[in-house]
Amino acid sequence: MKKYSLFLTILSLLFVLSCKDKNDGPSTDFSITFSALYGAETLEKNKDYTFNGFPIFVESCRMYLSDIRLINADREVIISDVEYLDFTPENAVSASPTIVFKNVPEGDYTSIRLGYGVSPVLNAKKPSNFPAGSPLAIENDYWAGWKSYIFSVLDGKADPDNNGTKNLSFSYHCGSDAVYKTVEFFTPIKVQAGAFTQAAITFDMKEFLTNDDGTPYDMVNNPATSNDAGNVVVAQALTAHWGRATKVSQ
Amino acid sequence: MATFLQKNALWVVISFIAGFVLLEACRPEDPGPGPNPTPGDLEYIAYDPQTYVIPKPTFFPEIPIPADNPMTKDGVQLGRRLFYDPILSADSTMSCSSCHLPEGSFTDNKKFSIGIDGIAGKRNSMSLLNVAYVTDGFFWDGRAATLEKQALAPVEDPIELHNSWDNVVKKLKLHPTYPQLFRKAFGIKDREEITKELAAKAIAQFERILISSGNSKYDRFVNGDVDAFDEEEIDGKLMFFDEGAPYNLPDAQCFHCHGGVTLTGGKFFNNGLDSVGNLSEFKDLGRFLVTGIEFDKGKFRATTMRNIALTAPYMHDGRFQTLEEVIEQYHDNGFGVVNEGAFLNQIGFPNGNGTYSGLTEYQKKAIVKFLHTLTDTDFINNQDIQNPF
Repeated sequence: MKKYSLFLTILSLLFVLSCKDKNDGPSTDFSITFSALYGAETLEKNKDYTFNGFPIFVESCRMYLSDIRLINADREVIISDVEYLDFTPENAVSASPTIVFKNVPEGDYTSIRLGYGVSPVLNAKKPSNFPAGSPLAIENDYWAGWKSYIFSVLDGKADPDNNGTKNLSFSYHCGSDAVYKTVEFFTPIKVQAGAFTQAAITFDMKEFLTNDDGTPYDMVNNPATSNDAGNVVVAQALTAHWGRATKVSQ
Repeated sequence: MATFLQKNALWVVISFIAGFVLLEACRPEDPGPGPNPTPGDLEYIAYDPQTYVIPKPTFFPEIPIPADNPMTKDGVQLGRRLFYDPILSADSTMSCSSCHLPEGSFTDNKKFSIGIDGIAGKRNSMSLLNVAYVTDGFFWDGRAATLEKQALAPVEDPIELHNSWDNVVKKLKLHPTYPQLFRKAFGIKDREEITKELAAKAIAQFERILISSGNSKYDRFVNGDVDAFDEEEIDGKLMFFDEGAPYNLPDAQCFHCHGGVTLTGGKFFNNGLDSVGNLSEFKDLGRFLVTGIEFDKGKFRATTMRNIALTAPYMHDGRFQTLEEVIEQYHDNGFGVVNEGAFLNQIGFPNGNGTYSGLTEYQKKAIVKFLHTLTDTDFINNQDIQNPF
C-alpha cells in the first residue's frame, strides 16, 4: 500500500509539472500600431512624393504579416499567426491599424520576429478554408495563378519624365512561398500590464523601393512584378528590402 | 348508423357548421386592420426560428452573416415576399424585383431603371449575385455600409419606389398576412412592432441567399472537368487571370479588380471611361460623393463577372451594349486621367520600358468567350429565389 501511495504521489507530481507551461504567469493585452511611411511622412493615398528625382504617388499599400513572435532567451511567444494590414483603405487616404494581441505573457523580450507575407503552412490553404472575417478569407488577396496569397501590394503611378503626366503605372504584388521572408528585429520590448502594453512598427515604402546600396529601384524598367509564378525576381528583390524598411519601437 | 344519418342529415350538417363557428370564435382573435390593435395580438402564433443554412458551393468562402440579423427560414421567406411585392412602392406597381429580375442575374437589362413616376435613374441596375460577400459598401458608390442599410434606400428614392417607409410600414401593419410573417420571422408580439428596420433585415436575408450554384461551365472547369472548356476559353481564362506567361499569352489584368471566387473584389476604380481635364469634370462623381476624397471622383465599384453575359448593358451608366465593346474600352488603356486604375495601361506583354503590347483580336475574342463561361443558369432558375406570388 505504501509503495502504491508513493507511486501515486510521484505520478501526481509528474502530472502537475507536465501541465506547467513555461509560458504560464501573468499576461496582458498588448497592442501594436502599424503604419506605412514614405520617408518621414505617413503614407497617404494619391499624395505626391519624390522618388529618384521624379514624382510618384501610391494608390494601394497593404500587406500580410504572419508568425509574429516575441523572443527572449527563455522563450518565443507567437502572438499572432497572421495579420492583414491595409494602409490605404477604401474610405480614407491612409490608415495605421492598431492590433490588440490578447494574453501576451509579461516579460522582457529582446526581439520581435515578423514573417512578411503568409507563412508556407497557411499559404497552402485558400480563402474558402477560413471563416468569414479571418484575414485569410479575403478573396481578392489570393491569386490562384501563384496558388498563393498576395503577400504585399504597392500600386501607384509615376512621372519618370518629369513632364507633368504620371504615365508610368507601377504594381508590385509579391507572393508565393519563394518570396516569404522572416526578419528578426533586436529591439527590446517589455510587456507588463498597466505599464508597457504598446509598441509601434513602421514600414517605410521609400526604403522598400531602395536597393541595399542606396540606389533607387529601377521602377522604369521593372514597373511590375511578374505574373509568371516561376519568375519571382522582382518580388524577391523588393521583399529583401523589408528588413531595412521596417522599424520597431516602444 | 347509416339510417340515422340519412334521417337526420340536415341536423348533422347544421351541427357541424355550428361547431365550426364555435371553434373559430374560441380562437385567439386576429384584430385585423383595426386602428388600435390589441397589444400582443400576434402572440398566439408560434415563434420558432429555424436557422437557414445558405446553400453555397463548397469552394465558396463562408458567407458573413451579421450578428444582429441571423438567417432564419421565416426571415428569408418574408424577405422574399417583400422583395417581390409592389406594396413597397407608393402606387403599388413596382417592387425591388422590378429592377432586379432573376433572368438578368438580378438586373433589369436596361441602361437606366425607370421608377414609378416614369423617371429614369442615373445609374445602371447592379447584379445582386453573391451580394452577401460585398464588404466595402453597396451601390455603385458604396454609400450603404450594410445590406440592411442598402435595402432601406430604394423605397424612399423619388426616382425609384417613391414611397415613404411610414406609409409602407402602415400598409404592412394593416395587411392580412404580413403581421403574421413578421411574427414568425422576428418574434414580434403585435403588429405595432413592425418597423422599416425589420423589413430591411428580411429583405437583406433574402438577398444573402442569392449565391452562385457553382455549376457554371467555368466552375466545372476549375473543379476538374478539363473537357468543359475549349482551347479558346482556356486561353481567355489564362489571360483574364494573368496566368498565361508559361503559354506565351499576355496579361489582360482583369482579375486585379474582378478577382477571388466571386470575381469581384468590390473595390472602387476609375476604369478609364471618360476623358476629363480635371477630376471635377466627371459627369457622375461616383465614390467621391461618399468619401469626399478628391481621387475618388469618377470611381465606381467593380462588379462581379459571374453571369456578366446576362447583365448587359455595362458600366455604371450602361453605356456599352456588348462585352466586345467593354473589352475594346479596356484595351484602349483609358485616357491617362490621373486616378485611372494602374493596370489599365499594363495590358499585354511588357515591352520593357513601362509600355505594354496590348492584345490581338484573337486574344480579345478569347476573353469574351471566357466571360460567357461564367453564366450560371442553375442560379437564375433556382426556384427558391423566384417570385413567390
